[in-house]
Amino acid sequence: MEKIIFGDNQFFGINHMSEERAQALAEKFRDLKAITDVLKTAWDVGIRGFMLNSNDRAKEICDFLRKNKESFEGLRLYPSIPYPHKYANLVTEKGIINTIRDVLCSENTAKESLGLIWKGGAFFSSGGDATKIMELLIDVEMQVFRELNVEVVFLQNVVTDLVLGLGLKEVFIHYYAYIKEKYNAEPGFITMNLPKLVAFLTEVCGLDNPIVCSPINKRGYFMNPSAEACEEVIAKRKFRPVAMSIYASGAIPPKEAIEYISNQKNINAIVFGASSKKNIEETIGLIKQCSD
Amino acid sequence: MLKGGFVGVGRMGLTHMAILNAQPNVMVAAAADKPSVISSFLKKHMGLNMFADYQSMLEQVSLDFVVISTPSDSHAEIVEAALGKNLHIFVEKPFSLNPQKGMELARIAEGKKLVNQVGYVTRFHELFVFVKRLLGESVIGEIKHFKAEMCGGTVIRDNKKAWRSEKNKGGGCMYDYASHCVDLVIYLFGKPDQTVGNVTQKIFSAHVEDLVSSTFLYKRGFTGNILVTWSDASFRKPTTKVEILGEEGKIVVDKYSCKIYLNKDSEKHGFQKGWNILHITDMVQSVNFYARGNEYSRQLEYFIHSIETALTDNIASFRESVMTDFVLEEIRRESTER
Repeated sequence: MEKIIFGDNQFFGINHMSEERAQALAEKFRDLKAITDVLKTAWDVGIRGFMLNSNDRAKEICDFLRKNKESFEGLRLYPSIPYPHKYANLVTEKGIINTIRDVLCSENTAKESLGLIWKGGAFFSSGGDATKIMELLIDVEMQVFRELNVEVVFLQNVVTDLVLGLGLKEVFIHYYAYIKEKYNAEPGFITMNLPKLVAFLTEVCGLDNPIVCSPINKRGYFMNPSAEACEEVIAKRKFRPVAMSIYASGAIPPKEAIEYISNQKNINAIVFGASSKKNIEETIGLIKQCSD
Repeated sequence: MLKGGFVGVGRMGLTHMAILNAQPNVMVAAAADKPSVISSFLKKHMGLNMFADYQSMLEQVSLDFVVISTPSDSHAEIVEAALGKNLHIFVEKPFSLNPQKGMELARIAEGKKLVNQVGYVTRFHELFVFVKRLLGESVIGEIKHFKAEMCGGTVIRDNKKAWRSEKNKGGGCMYDYASHCVDLVIYLFGKPDQTVGNVTQKIFSAHVEDLVSSTFLYKRGFTGNILVTWSDASFRKPTTKVEILGEEGKIVVDKYSCKIYLNKDSEKHGFQKGWNILHITDMVQSVNFYARGNEYSRQLEYFIHSIETALTDNIASFRESVMTDFVLEEIRRESTER
């Protein structure tokens, strides 16, 4: 896994600190070119790992990456699936089952449709085997990233934490196996409940050394049930931690933020987002400085 | 160990179930919903005791509490049945489409000393709780006016099939969105003595309103405007914003930040003259288990805590929530439809 992964929240108007900042980001990155310019800047600084959530903008970004393959030789993508708000709005509008049906029908491009139809048939003839639905939904989400070099596929935290809360171990086990087998990639999990998820994946699901991405920052922001509990798990348990929200949406000064992360031993990778060359370079510089 | 039954396993029902299932002292004992892929999935993979109707669940399973997350028009009936079984109740908002009935249910719950909570989740959000405290301490002096807005992009085309598109099921942006906004206003400022200039407007929906606006009048001498719409696609997710004008300053609050403008320094609160800005990242507190937002976890952790400590004058009680139902009924009754 790349040690530094460039995140994408900033491109989609996501900021956990202020609505205005989120709005300003949404305006700044309205045009695809503004996004691809930042990606190029990150690339030029030496970043090779990029995280992308499977939302509508990701489709455009991936089209760009496919078209410019030669400029991004050695690119490693770390998708997170699904895009939760798409489903949230649809589910509110249509209910869970109609949403699944509609997503499968509407996002089914002609090229990959045969496989989906075959699986869809298998689903209905199996009397609603949920693992088949899951495979279908994963396939739909993963179409966005086709022909690109995908290293880890992260299950987005809204889904991970719902499945964790309900204790549905088969979902994690099946997800893990399916991503490995079908996409030849490493399965990963994003969570807001690090200690609980690590215990569940390793002890209940029997997954060895899983990749788990979660907020890890000096403020303890989104570190549930507590910063101390998360730090202890990182120090003691066998898994591959990936740190996100390291700046707590800008609440922690860069130097303090990176120093804190460097002091947490065992962290495999850091996901960070930035929208200017200066901030990208600053973060990279600090990470190098702290790891020396 | 507290045993919970869940009526309705849609999006909110599953979220509540996940949060509560992850609490150390709670057991998800049973659930009821019409048979579907979801219910057979829960039965198979969670080993959940699923019932096709809530009556059978209440009859056959010994429970301590129920969580009701069904379409709004069914809340009153299910709450009444659960009260009949002496269960503590958490019910999704809005509480009851018929406020008179809601008041009757509130009295029964209080008489039986049962915890009775409605899913008005904003009351558990750090920044709105903080603003409530500031208002109580008169940080901006006497309140003169407020603006409360809740906007989102949930309905950006007509969908006749969903229950939220049916008026008599409690669909429409009035009960789905405006209930949150009105409850928040009541939480911060109390129930308005009168509402005027009530307007409901269709944008995409054929049968229900997509926008609600109203002016709230208070005998205490201030006024407020509310604007609620679920048909604004520019919002990535539902967003609530409240602006409060006082004689000595102003507060602007949303889920991410709280901005306080003061006409003069406030030593007591450590605020300076001019703008003072606090971010959620400064105030957020961890939860036992996170599923959707800290406030969603906190409201249920509070519900369980209330049961364990026999606290029955709880936050977001039936009685408080009936006030919102009365205001919504008034807005609907008095509104000009456009």
